[in-house]
Amino acid sequence: MMRKIETNTAVQRKREIEDPQKRHSRHEAMEAVQMLDKLKYDFPHSLESMKYFYDLYERVYCKGEKIHSDKPLVGTLCIQVPYEIIYAMDAVPVRLCNGFHTDEQLGGEFMPTKSCSLVKATLGMLQSRDIPAADKLDIIVHPTTCDQKTKAISIIEDMSYDMYHMEFPRVKESEESREYWRRTVRKFTKDISKELGRKVSRRSLKEAIRKVGRAQMAYHKLNELRRVTPSPILGKDMFLITNAFFFDEIERWTEAVENVYEEVKKRVQSGFNAAGKRSPRILYTGSPPIFPNLKLPVMIEEADGIIVADESCSANRLLNDMVSVDEWFMYDMVDAIADRYLKGCTCPIFTKNEDRKRRLRELIEEYCVDGVVYQSFAGCQVYEMEQRSIMQEMEKINIPMLYVETDYSPGQGGQLSTRVEAFIESLKVRRRKR
Amino acid sequence: MVYFAGIDIGSTAIKIVVIDENEIIKGYKVSGSGSMFYKYAKESFELLLKDIGISSQDVAYITSTGYGRKLFKEADETISEITANAVGARKAGEEFGTIRTIINIGGQDSKAIALDEHGNVVNFAMNDRCAAGTGKFLDVAAAKLEIDVEELGDYHFRSIGTPLSINSTCAVFAESEIIGLLGNEHTKEDIVAGIHFSIAKRIIRLAKRVGLNEVIYFDGGPALNKGLVSAIEDELGRELAIPRYPQITTALGAALLAKEAWEYELKNADAV
Ligand code: SF4
Ligand code: SF4
Repeated sequence: MMRKIETNTAVQRKREIEDPQKRHSRHEAMEAVQMLDKLKYDFPHSLESMKYFYDLYERVYCKGEKIHSDKPLVGTLCIQVPYEIIYAMDAVPVRLCNGFHTDEQLGGEFMPTKSCSLVKATLGMLQSRDIPAADKLDIIVHPTTCDQKTKAISIIEDMSYDMYHMEFPRVKESEESREYWRRTVRKFTKDISKELGRKVSRRSLKEAIRKVGRAQMAYHKLNELRRVTPSPILGKDMFLITNAFFFDEIERWTEAVENVYEEVKKRVQSGFNAAGKRSPRILYTGSPPIFPNLKLPVMIEEADGIIVADESCSANRLLNDMVSVDEWFMYDMVDAIADRYLKGCTCPIFTKNEDRKRRLRELIEEYCVDGVVYQSFAGCQVYEMEQRSIMQEMEKINIPMLYVETDYSPGQGGQLSTRVEAFIESLKVRRRKR
Repeated sequence: MVYFAGIDIGSTAIKIVVIDENEIIKGYKVSGSGSMFYKYAKESFELLLKDIGISSQDVAYITSTGYGRKLFKEADETISEITANAVGARKAGEEFGTIRTIINIGGQDSKAIALDEHGNVVNFAMNDRCAAGTGKFLDVAAAKLEIDVEELGDYHFRSIGTPLSINSTCAVFAESEIIGLLGNEHTKEDIVAGIHFSIAKRIIRLAKRVGLNEVIYFDGGPALNKGLVSAIEDELGRELAIPRYPQITTALGAALLAKEAWEYELKNADAV
């Protein structure tokens, strides 16, 4: 190893440095692969039909495939944007709620330190202009739901996106708010079609309601199978399925869900158990787990729990009720759509907590739930605040609840999983004593 | 002619540099530190002197540095590797402009040093006593993947899939992460790239604590790994300043400090 050298001059190199956009996609891909790996390999007996979804995520999040190209793309900032109306314009809705730590860090520059991970991640994604599945957004629709999103709007406008605001009421029960929201949706229908230069006709709207209805039906049927004891499908797969609804081509998605249904049904017939012998049945609620931040759901199931029901806007709530139309006239349909969104919404942004409590009780009973896991993103005020009243409600009906405050950072792992494990164990002990 | 020697006794390698009065490197040597630091250090020192044809009487001053610096009894002085690294980097990186930030990955630790415009250390940060993201970690990973450490660079550039993140901050756990990835049918190429990017992210996080300024200089043995260099550059979004012999920077710094100390002693002796 000995060499004589005259000078210690260094070598001059010239090389292409990865551009920031590429680096950003790489960071995302690294996160995505890590989660996909977990979902694919860390659980036994994976479903053959889930392959469609694993591949979809890989294509979109790892290989950067843009699956919508020819149609106008409407970004949506919350589950309250009526998909039916967008489809009726032959446009494609893409939900922008995001689960990447990479984006959360980027978006952290715009928001107070202690603010919701989801909103930060969405801002980061918009800032980087790297929007999964979509090349460019023609418009972003924002319903005035939670405060953080509402206040993030001006930041998004500064990034020079076209935005449309939908005024959303904060009271659910009154006739006034119903009328108010109906007006909002009617106006939205008119404005957006002008904006995109696309007409909504009676026929196209009817067709769109059918299309979304079919998707909901497929999902409902699959979801119903989770009531069976033992439960035939793990929650981690269900989250992946509902998350894909954010951006997938709706008809292909529906078909894929139907395939999963068929396979799971066979499992039910053979009495198959997707989890362990004594796995407690968990209801998951709170801040929405969005790919790849499926950290908490995965932890629950790794700890031998099984999520049989969920109440979050990235899962069950997405497809709650179907639009019910009396008369297939244009404005009847639009009103019916408006109703389904407002009535079905159990987001904690509303003044009263009653409806969510009712919904949770319902789910607990129907799905024979042993315990509830409630996640709140640190900084998400509404979930943090509502948690107390939900906890009291659960005490009343004697269902244990674990409250977890999280964000998107990967470091939190060890401590959190210990808590989750202890909770699951306590549920097992409880059941044995019964 | 008088000569000065700097000897850097690290956890995995012993590096020796001999310079002359004009600060020109007369010779250098890198050898494994093995189990008997003192014996090996002394032996390689003698070998080096023989190779460049000078006798030990011609060496006016020896400064030792590094983790095993106290063990080298022949040294006239010992100095911390932070100082030696800074002084060496300044010299070795002269042609890149003024070095303001140093990233150093060693066998067992990694550090970032911030310098002011005169080359004085103003701030530094070291990793939290953990081997993840150090040379040792690369060794362990390469062994697990059954490839040579020298080959890591080639593997990195052949990766065509997604690099795979290694999140464990502990080398022991990281090792099992790697085993897991291998089990899940990922290619060695993607795993290697993932290791490099994970180390890159970690070292940049460390460097950000002291501040990333103008020219960023990267040294230590792992700087020879082109894959790792490329990963750090991609993460930083700019090119690094890398000396031709990144392993010997700290030893060079020690040699330069030896010369300084000797000159100082001479001056003071004159005054008497
Ligand atoms: S938590 Fe509420 S406001 Fe946020 S996306 Fe979900 S439904 Fe919308
Ligand atoms: S056991 Fe892990 S955490 Fe502890 S010092 Fe070693 S590498 Fe670091």
